[in-house]
Formats: sequence, C-alpha cells, structure tokens
Amino acid sequence: MGRLRRSRVHKAQRDVHRAMRTRARTKDLDQIQLIDLDPKNRAKLEAQPLDYEKPGLAQHYCVECAKYFETDFALQSHWKTKVHKRRCRALKEPAYTIEESERAAGLGRENKRPSLPTPSTDAAGDIAMQ
Amino acid sequence: MRIDKCYFCSKSVYPGHGTAFVRNDAKVFRFCTSKCHKNFKMKRNPRKVRWTKAFRKAAGKEMTIDSTIDFEKRRNVPVRYDRELIQTTVKAMRRIAEVKKKREHAFWKNRMVASREKLRTHRKKTADAKYVKLLQPISATAGESVKEKIKVSSKSRSALVTGEGRSMGMDID
Repeated sequence: MGRLRRSRVHKAQRDVHRAMRTRARTKDLDQIQLIDLDPKNRAKLEAQPLDYEKPGLAQHYCVECAKYFETDFALQSHWKTKVHKRRCRALKEPAYTIEESERAAGLGRENKRPSLPTPSTDAAGDIAMQ
Repeated sequence: MRIDKCYFCSKSVYPGHGTAFVRNDAKVFRFCTSKCHKNFKMKRNPRKVRWTKAFRKAAGKEMTIDSTIDFEKRRNVPVRYDRELIQTTVKAMRRIAEVKKKREHAFWKNRMVASREKLRTHRKKTADAKYVKLLQPISATAGESVKEKIKVSSKSRSALVTGEGRSMGMDID
C-alpha cells in the first residue's frame, strides 16, 4: 500500500496518543485566560530570565499560545499565523472551568455560613444534601 | 463522603468510581468514565460537545434558572446530626424531585412547541430532496419516430485514399 499505510493502519493515531501524554501536556485555556493574560503576569512571562533548557533561551514567548520561539523573527511571524489568531479568538470567550461543570450539574456553592439551623415548617427550607 | 461531578459531562462520580487528574496547579479534575477522560486529554471544550450537560445548559436545552436546582450545594460546614432534620430533609428531597420533574417536562414541552415548526420545515425540505417525480416514458407519448433518409453529397467523401486496405476507413460518417 505504500504511503496509504500510514493513514489506514491505525498508526495515524500514534501522534494523537503521544500528544495526549501527561508529560506532553500544554497549558489549558483557563490557565492562560485567568492567570497568564493578566497584565502583571504577562509582563513577567514576556521578560523571562535566560533559561538554557527552553527554546531560544526563553526570550521569545507567545503568552496566548504558551509557546517558546527560537528567534524574534519566528515570534513575529507566528503572530501573523492562523493558529495564533484562532487561539486569540478562543481566548475571547470565557474559559470552561471546574466551577462551570458543577454549575451545569446543578451543584451550587454556598459562600456564606448558614444561619442557625432551625427546623422550619417549609419542607424545602433547609436541606443538607452534600 | 462526597459525590463529585464529572468535569466533562457533569455526571455524578461516586466514591470508588472514575478517575481524577490533578493538574500542576493542584486543581482536581474528576471524570466519570474513560470517555470523558479521553475527551479532556484531547482538550475538547465540553461546551461544544453535544452530549455534555454543559452544552445542553449553554444551548438552552435544559432549565438553568429554577428554584428546584438551588438546593443541591457544596456545603463546607458540617451539620450536627438531628433525626428530625434528616427526616424532613429526606421528605423534602422526594417532593422537590417530583416538582423538578414536572417543571422539566413543562420546560421541554415549551421548547418543543418552538422547535416543532422548525422540524416540520426541515422534514419538508428533506422530503422534497428525496422526492423523485415520475414521468411517462417518452415512447408512450411520442410514438414511433419515422426514419428519414438523408442525402449525403459525394463531395463530403475524403480525398485521402485508404492505404491498401490495411488502415481504417477515412469515410466521414
């Protein structure tokens, strides 16, 4: 089958599975949106100290995509790419968080301490479900 | 004992079931099944995956604002055991479930009224696309066509001469 073997013999999943490894895990959208995009954190990320482990000594970092680049030129041209623009668009809408998953399940959160537990006549008055 | 909610599909995760992923910022993601875990690893947005609760709530397919939903809460203050309180609670839970079911049904019915019209037009559209209009065969309507002789002038013959009967004919049909 020659070339077609790669796409037809389940091996196409190889890279998908590799990208899913915990050690290959990249930053999630909610981490970027809620923490990194904050101006203070952003400035810190864009001016990192020299790091010999990171690509380009950690000098050219794209905050939105959480990605290091080798050169300034590479970073500049990355900003013009579709991948970067798509990521910026994804970051505009609020990120999905654990709190939202709980809200979708109908699980609220009680912030204040409840007042004195009094057995009221209203059946739905005080319920301790969780 | 705490019943957690699945990060992806918002189903209940009972103790001893499912898996948890702890991100390096100490956030705990719980998953009811490997399906949900895999979808998380693929970095899918649950709000855009149609079978999740998050999608259904975000797309207005389920009740979001209702007093029956507000009872289930994460309470971090322990309640001193009180037989009377537990009894009323259990009683109330049944009643609330009843009310909730009724309201959900009403919500669904209301939703369906709006979508019925949409469905009808969609069905009509697909039916039209599938519909094949049958016509009478041409022979039945037109009858037998009479063959006519067409005169062909001798000049239309090719000037080229066939090569000793070996090549193909050069006559113009």
